[in-house]
Amino acid sequence: MNNRFSRRDFLKLAGLLPLGLYAPRWSRILDAHTLAQEKPKNVLVIIFDAFSAYDISFYGYHRQTTPNIDRLAKRAIVYHNHFAAGNFTTPGTASLLTGVLPWTHRALNLNGKIADPYVTKNIFSAFNDYYRIAYSHNGFANTFLKQFHNDLDELIPRESLYLESYDSLVSTLFKNDDDIASVSWVRNMKVNEEGSAYSLFLSHLYESLQERKIESLKPLFPRGLPTTGLVNPYLLETAVDALSKRLSEIPQPFIGYFHFMPPHHPYRTSRDFFNAFKADGFKPVEKPIDVLADKISSEQPRRRTEYDEFILYCDREFGRLYNYLESSGLLENTWVVLTSDHGEMFERGISGHGSRVLYQPVVRIPLMIFEPGRQVGMDIYEYTSAVDVLPTLAHLTGQKTPSWTEGVVLPPYGTTNPNQNVYVVQAIDNAQDAALTQASTILVKENYKLHYYFGYPEVPEGELVKLFDIKSDPEELVDLYSLKKGLALELLNELKGKLAEVNKPYL
Amino acid sequence: MATFITRRYSRQGLWSLFLTCAFPLHFWTLILVFRDISWLTERTNAWDAIGVASYGMVFAFTESVVIFLVAALLGFLTPKHWETDRRIAFLGLLILITSVWGMIGQLLFLWNIFLPEQAIQILRNSSHPLRIIYAVCLMVVTPTVLLPVYAFIRSNKAVMFMQNLMERLALLTTFYLFFDLLGLIIVIIRNIG
Repeated sequence: MNNRFSRRDFLKLAGLLPLGLYAPRWSRILDAHTLAQEKPKNVLVIIFDAFSAYDISFYGYHRQTTPNIDRLAKRAIVYHNHFAAGNFTTPGTASLLTGVLPWTHRALNLNGKIADPYVTKNIFSAFNDYYRIAYSHNGFANTFLKQFHNDLDELIPRESLYLESYDSLVSTLFKNDDDIASVSWVRNMKVNEEGSAYSLFLSHLYESLQERKIESLKPLFPRGLPTTGLVNPYLLETAVDALSKRLSEIPQPFIGYFHFMPPHHPYRTSRDFFNAFKADGFKPVEKPIDVLADKISSEQPRRRTEYDEFILYCDREFGRLYNYLESSGLLENTWVVLTSDHGEMFERGISGHGSRVLYQPVVRIPLMIFEPGRQVGMDIYEYTSAVDVLPTLAHLTGQKTPSWTEGVVLPPYGTTNPNQNVYVVQAIDNAQDAALTQASTILVKENYKLHYYFGYPEVPEGELVKLFDIKSDPEELVDLYSLKKGLALELLNELKGKLAEVNKPYL
Repeated sequence: MATFITRRYSRQGLWSLFLTCAFPLHFWTLILVFRDISWLTERTNAWDAIGVASYGMVFAFTESVVIFLVAALLGFLTPKHWETDRRIAFLGLLILITSVWGMIGQLLFLWNIFLPEQAIQILRNSSHPLRIIYAVCLMVVTPTVLLPVYAFIRSNKAVMFMQNLMERLALLTTFYLFFDLLGLIIVIIRNIG
C-alpha cells in the first residue's frame, strides 16, 4: 500500500480548507436545527420577580446570595449584560412574553394590559404544537396570562398555590377583575403599615382569623410569611413542588412559564436564612440622592439585607427545582431559562422598584439558559434585552421566528451584533393609547448607557439626560454628559428619533 | 318568629338602626378612599382607582349588614319593657361609641401619635407590659361607654337627643347608600366581560 501523500492529494485537501474553517460555525447552527428536528425539546421559563443581577453573587455581588445558582451557572449560558424592558412587572413581563418593547405592546401602567394587536402575538402563540402551561404568583403578570387564554392549554389558577386563605375568596368571586378587587380587599381588610384599614371592625376580626390559619407556619418565617403585597400568603416550596409534579404529568413537548413572587417585596425569608447577612460588614458603594427620588428612605441598608436574605430562599428553591428536573430526566430534554421581569434597588434615596429611575440595579436582570446536555458554561457579555428571549427560544426549538418580535436571537445561537441597541422604557403615568409625554427611557449602545427622562415636573427644563460608560463605570457614578456631549447628543437624537417613530400612531 | 322579632323591633326601627350602623363605617371608608384616590390614580389609572373605591363601598355595605345583624341580636339582651324606639336609640348609641373608638385607634397611627418616652420606659421596666396596656385602655374606654349609657338610662333627654341624632344621620347615610349602589354598578360593569 502506497502511503505517500502526493502533491495532488494535498491540493485536493486544500480545497476543503474553507469548509474546515467554517465548519464550527455551521455545525453550531446545524446543531440547533438538527436538535430541534430530532425530537422537540421542552421549554421552561422560570421568573423570579424583582430579581436584580446586581445582588447575585455569580454576577459579582459581594454577598454570597446565590450559592446554588452559582454552582449551576457553570453549566449554563450566562448573560452578563441582560436588560429588562421596564422597571416594574407590567412592562417587564409583557415585553418578555410578547418580544416587543413597552412602547409597542403598550402595557405601560401599573395594572396595564397588552394592547389588542399583541394579545395574539405572544410566546405561547409561537409554540402552537406544544402543550402550553403557565402560572403566576403575581397578579399583574397573571393579567397577561389571562389575556393569552386562547393560546394556553393550561393556566394554573393564581390562588391555587397560595396558602389556604380567605383572600382567595375575593379573586374567585371577582374573577374578571381580581387585581383591583384584591387591592380594595387589602385596603379594607388589612391594617396597613400606617395602621389603617377601610373596615373599622371586620378588619380586626379578619386578621385574627387569618393569623390562626397560618399559626403553625409562623415560626418558619421570622419576618412573617411571604405574601403578594399585603395579601395571599404563599410558600415558594409549595409552588416548586406543585410545578415539579405538574411537569411530570403533562404531555411533551411543553412550554411552561412560571412566574414566582420572591424576592419581590415584602422580603420575608425563611428561618434558615434569617439574619444570614446581619452585621456582615458589607458596605455598598455610596451614591448621591437622585433628583427623581420621591421618598428618601433611611432604611436602605436594612432593606437590602432583607432582600439579599430573601434571594437565598429563591436560590435554594431553584436549586431544588433543578435537582428535580435532573433526577427526573426532564433536564435532558428541556431548555430551562432563569430570568426576571425587572430588578430592585437600594441606593440614591430609592428603595424597591417602580420609581422613575432606570439605574442598573433596577433594569439589569439575570438571564441563564440551561441547554439540554450542556456541561460547560459560557459567558456572554454582549448587551441583550428581555425581548430577545422569545425569538431565541423559538429558534432553539425549531419554531418559526415570529415576525412581530423586536428582539434578536441571542448569542451564541444567533449572529452576534455588538451594536444592537437595547432600550428600556418606563411610562407608568402615560395613557395607553397616547403618545409618550412623560417617561423614562434608556438606550444602551456600545458600552454607553444614555438615560433620558422627560415630562416630569421635578426635572428642570422638562428633560434630564445622563450618560454613563457602563463597562468602565458599572455603578454609574460618573455622568459623562458634559464630558462627552457630542456622543451624548448623538445617542439622544437616536433615542428621540425612536420615540418619534413609536409615538407616530398616537399623534 | 315574626312575632318574636316584632315584639322587640319595628320595621322603621330596624331601618333606622341599619342606617346608624352604616353611617360610621361608610364615613370612615370614604375618608380613607379620598385619602388614597390620588395615590391609586398615580399608580394605576382613574378607572382602576374608581374601581378600588367602588369595591370599598360594596365592602362597607357588607360590613354594615354584618354589624347591623350583630347589633340587632344584642338588642334581645336589652330589657323587655323598653319601648322599641328606646332600644333602637340605645343600640345606636353603643354602635357610635364603639365606632368612634375604632376610628381613634386608627387615627393614633395615622397621625403618628405614640406613647411618651417615659411611659415606654415604665412599660419596658415592668414584668407585664401588655397587661398594663390593656388595663389602661380599659380605664380610658370604660367611662366613655358607661357614662353615656348611664345618662341614657336615667334621662329621657338623652334618649331624645340620641333619636334626633339618628334621624339626622339617617339622611346623610341615605346618600352613602346611593354611593353603594353606584359602587355596585361599577363593580358589575368591571366584572362583565
